[in-house]
Amino acid sequence: MSSHPLFTLYGVLLLGAASIADYSGWSLSRINEVKNVPKSVRDNPGVYRSVYGMSPHYSGGK
Amino acid sequence: MTSGPAGKVAKSVSLSCPSCGAPIDLRGYFHTVNVACAHCGAILDARTPTLTILQKFEKQTSIQPAIPLGSRGKLNGIDFEVIGYQLRQIVSDGVAYQWSEYLLFNPFQGYRYLTEYRGHWNFGRTLNALPAMQMGLRRTASVGAQVYRHFQTANAQTVYVLGEFPWQVRVGDEVSAADYVAAPFLLSSETTADEVVWSTAVYTDGRALWQAFQLPGSPPPVSGVYENQPSPYKGKVGSVWKTYFLLLIALIVAAIVLPTMINRNQKVFDRDYVFNGHPNGDSSFVTQPFELDGRTSSVEIKTITNLDNDWAYFHYALINQDTGHAFDFGREVSKFSDEGSKEDRVIVPSVASGKYYLRIEPEMDTNSPTLRFGRSLRYEVIVTRDPPVYWFFLVAFFLLLIPPIYVTIQAMKFEGARWAESDYGSGGSA
Amino acid sequence: MSERVSNCPGCGAPIKFLWSSAIQTTCEFCKSILVRTDVDLEKVGQVADLPPDASPIQIGTEGVHRNRPFTVIGRIVYEYQQGYWNEWHLIFNDGTSGWLSDAQLDYAVSYLWQPPSPLPPASNCNRQASFQWNGATYQVTVITTAHYVGVQGELPFKYWDKSDCLFVDLRTTDARFATIDYTETPPILFVGEAIDFADLHLKNLRQFDGWTQ
Repeated sequence: MSSHPLFTLYGVLLLGAASIADYSGWSLSRINEVKNVPKSVRDNPGVYRSVYGMSPHYSGGK
Repeated sequence: MTSGPAGKVAKSVSLSCPSCGAPIDLRGYFHTVNVACAHCGAILDARTPTLTILQKFEKQTSIQPAIPLGSRGKLNGIDFEVIGYQLRQIVSDGVAYQWSEYLLFNPFQGYRYLTEYRGHWNFGRTLNALPAMQMGLRRTASVGAQVYRHFQTANAQTVYVLGEFPWQVRVGDEVSAADYVAAPFLLSSETTADEVVWSTAVYTDGRALWQAFQLPGSPPPVSGVYENQPSPYKGKVGSVWKTYFLLLIALIVAAIVLPTMINRNQKVFDRDYVFNGHPNGDSSFVTQPFELDGRTSSVEIKTITNLDNDWAYFHYALINQDTGHAFDFGREVSKFSDEGSKEDRVIVPSVASGKYYLRIEPEMDTNSPTLRFGRSLRYEVIVTRDPPVYWFFLVAFFLLLIPPIYVTIQAMKFEGARWAESDYGSGGSA
Repeated sequence: MSERVSNCPGCGAPIKFLWSSAIQTTCEFCKSILVRTDVDLEKVGQVADLPPDASPIQIGTEGVHRNRPFTVIGRIVYEYQQGYWNEWHLIFNDGTSGWLSDAQLDYAVSYLWQPPSPLPPASNCNRQASFQWNGATYQVTVITTAHYVGVQGELPFKYWDKSDCLFVDLRTTDARFATIDYTETPPILFVGEAIDFADLHLKNLRQFDGWTQ
């Protein structure tokens, strides 16, 4: 192993990154975080509208 | 010159060329059989006191050997003097490949030689033993334990001669030369009608020679790969793959062990739902709240449907009940006969702990076959806190392959370049 | 090594024999070739001027072959188409003799040996021939036509025949060496090995202007 120190370091870094990915929970998906949901008088569960995150309206399929 | 009491000194002999009168010094003493005059190039018989002319040339081509005649250098602890030089060539497909040969002399240790081709140097001597020849798929020859692979057989012609030789030389001489390689070693034979002479040589760095002979400047630049040039990748391919497998094992062990130690992998929500289309527009609803514990980590939301040759789209929002902080995303689930899956899995990263609920809004095509004839879409939503994240281990597995594959390709390219010039390669002669 | 002192019949100089089995020797001073008879020394000829030669070995050179020390006490010079070579006569501590072949600084040590079966006549020897001796295959490498041109020192036989004869060199894959000498009938065989200058540990060599050994 010591005959390829750079490669070993590279491998260890990949291992480290994979461990961090596992610990922190890296995701490949596009997730919209919406921090400031406007509060209103009529605040209740369900008042949230996806338009706040501006997610596209999907009309896909085959 | 008979020998007398011990310690008698033999001086080198000075003569003059019968063709042009230039002085001739015999650095090889009485061993020298033929000497080429440095001035007019005529090849003379050194065994006759008058230096009988053996070969004469109209036009004198002046070629300066890179290591001048008379140069002295220490190689392997022995002093040698350059006493002869030849320019030789092989003609293949009308192209002449020329190389230089230097004859080295030590009055006690005998003769050695140096060859140079495009900056590649070899230091050699004639062989004491006979090689053992093996015919087979691969033509090989062995000297003792060392096995050499046949590289090339071609006719070598002498183009130009300078200095002294203990054998007969003429410009135009032709011999059949065969090379066998075992980098960094070279085994060669030269065959004439009367005899076969075998030699072995070792690949040598020109800079080491320039130091040994204390020559000014630099040796000729190296170009291409030479037949017995040692590969800079020798041993590296094996060891880099060995390192790879050790790292791979570490990666696999980590992928198996770490998630069990790091991740809570706690199922916090698991419910079944039914969707029948949305005749008045809004199909959204919210779930019961659930607790997400522990450190800020990811949340996995799995959607398992009964889709078959259809698709559905789920608008999701994971909302913190207290802070209102929301994670908004949409997932398409499609399963058709040739592709897709009726399940979907998404990881929501960096979700702080707290009480959460899901807002779910399913959507399907108005002409969806699932919903026809009054049927429904059934789906199950499972929420897992701090699931194991494997995908980067898979990425690491592939990224880890890059260096050993690169080294292997480079080593193969080097060997390809080596053998391209052989009798077995694409660019070979013969 | 026993030493006997006699006097040269040509010039009276003292002649010392380093080797008890020597049959001929040469007188350094008057260059006579002397042969030992039961009683005394007999002059049988004159040494011709030996051709100029650059061998580093000389009479009196000492060396070692495979842990056996030797002294060079005699020499035969042969001439062939390409030039000359020397056969140096060696004497070992136990009184046995051997030969050091010295051709353009290519060295081989060999000893007289009786082959298990008779050697082929000169006309039958060609480059393809090979022999099985002592468990090794000896292949013919060079066939040389040569004649002797001079002698020096103590030798185990006497010959004055200067006509051309055949010398056949053979080698093996493990650097063994042999020579078939057709100067006599039946031909004589010498078997030994090719050897590096460094492995002979030679001392008392000739010196060369501008070279340190």
